Amino acid sequence: MTHRVLPIPNSYMDTRPFWDAANNHVLMLQRCDDTGRYQHPPRPASLYTGSRNVSWIASAGKGTLYSWTVTYSAWPGHEHRVPYICAYVQLEEGARILCNLVNCEAEALTMGMPMKVSWETLAPDVCYPAFEPA
Amino acid sequence: MNANRDVGIVAYAETKITLRGGRSAYDLAADVFASILDSTGLEVSDIDGLAVAETMSETANPFWPAYMADMLGLSPTWLESSGLGGVSAIGGVARAVAAIRAGLCKTALVLSTDAQSSKNQSEQGGQRHEFQYPTGLRGPTGVFGLLMRRYAHLYDLDPRALAKLAVTQRNHALLNENACEKLRIPLTEEAYLDSKVVSDPLRMLDSVMVCDGANAVLVASEEVIKEKGLAKAVYPTAYSELTNYKAFDSSAEITETGFSVVGPKALEQANLSTDQIRMFHPYDDFLIAILMQLEQIGFCNVGRGSDFILNTDLSFTGDLPLNTGGGQISAGQPGLAGGGLNLVEAVRQMFGEAGDRQVENPANAMVTGIGVIPIGRNWSTSAVMILEQ
Repeated sequence: MTHRVLPIPNSYMDTRPFWDAANNHVLMLQRCDDTGRYQHPPRPASLYTGSRNVSWIASAGKGTLYSWTVTYSAWPGHEHRVPYICAYVQLEEGARILCNLVNCEAEALTMGMPMKVSWETLAPDVCYPAFEPA
Repeated sequence: MNANRDVGIVAYAETKITLRGGRSAYDLAADVFASILDSTGLEVSDIDGLAVAETMSETANPFWPAYMADMLGLSPTWLESSGLGGVSAIGGVARAVAAIRAGLCKTALVLSTDAQSSKNQSEQGGQRHEFQYPTGLRGPTGVFGLLMRRYAHLYDLDPRALAKLAVTQRNHALLNENACEKLRIPLTEEAYLDSKVVSDPLRMLDSVMVCDGANAVLVASEEVIKEKGLAKAVYPTAYSELTNYKAFDSSAEITETGFSVVGPKALEQANLSTDQIRMFHPYDDFLIAILMQLEQIGFCNVGRGSDFILNTDLSFTGDLPLNTGGGQISAGQPGLAGGGLNLVEAVRQMFGEAGDRQVENPANAMVTGIGVIPIGRNWSTSAVMILEQ
């Protein structure tokens, strides 16, 4: 069995809330407390105000397909998975997430398709958000 | 930037682009440095400013520009580290012009050199270890696959237009002895359309091949030009740059780029319209980026890029000569020195030294740069420079 490339938590800021929730199959998003707007990927400050007033909020895990690409030439560590689909999903909350698409054929995808989060188990205790047609 | 001819580009140089050539970025830099001193007759001590682009091959060294000054025997009163990716060359020129006008130096070497295909020390980190690498997105290639699909959804994208860009630039590379030999083979539109899909819908021939190489331009004040009797000069009359377009907007349309801002701004500064641009030397990491720049700078309307390309002669004898040395896609991308490739070609053309591919009456040139490809949004830095006689 070939191993998946794992995320390295806390590599640039404290992202433990994201990864702990991921292992419970909950997708966390940062929300700017002052404007109520969401941002992803997580950042140390609010994109909107520059302040540190950001909270982690559980996302509904739903969105629409914004774009996708079928990868034939793998990023290192992913050779065994080719071909695989990478995509942007525009979440209901207004943030955009880069993800893999699962449980679907590329030929059946259409722009704006409703998508929902589908958790991949990359390793024991490491879950990662992918998306599938809703 | 203003229309005064008080600071000019007085020399250019570049090495041959090689694939895994094995020479270091320092060694490649020595070639272009010696060439510039030779073509201008200047001494090492005449150069009092140095801008060095960041690299992939030496990036582990935080003191890289100072090391380069030492290697070249320079004692600059202005030393700049240009970490703008593909914008580093024209960005370096713009900063050199500002430095010269501010009295920080008089004669600045704007140097770009990278041995990325021989040695890559970069670790781009940030959010990538958590939110990008585990998905397997193939870096810039994957990002542009996503971008192309999005563009094709919103507008008409005709693959024959991309094929024409590929073939036009390849034909130019066939006339360019500095282009990477591996790329100097004729290309047909059929071969482009048949080429391997790497990140659907992006094909291998839509993108650059990473190589090694160095290039430089010398920027000098009017006073120095007169004093040293420098025979040739072209003048940056406009420069506009923007990083992280729509930073505040998590829903920003990824096909909308900073060029929609910096293109019109640069044209306004130079008091020129796109009709008056004689040559176009756009940053070409990917063919779709050329099409998008044509639209957003204003050569045609957004969504009409394919038509514009199919109906315009982009060869060096045509109405809008495009990357007359082949661009990075057909000459090779010398790592992070790539931003200087098209700049040097523009200067070469305007000096009348382009030989078999000389553009007639090269009155001006627009040179652009793109720097850094993040995720979830359009590219990071967009920049446009206009050069005039």
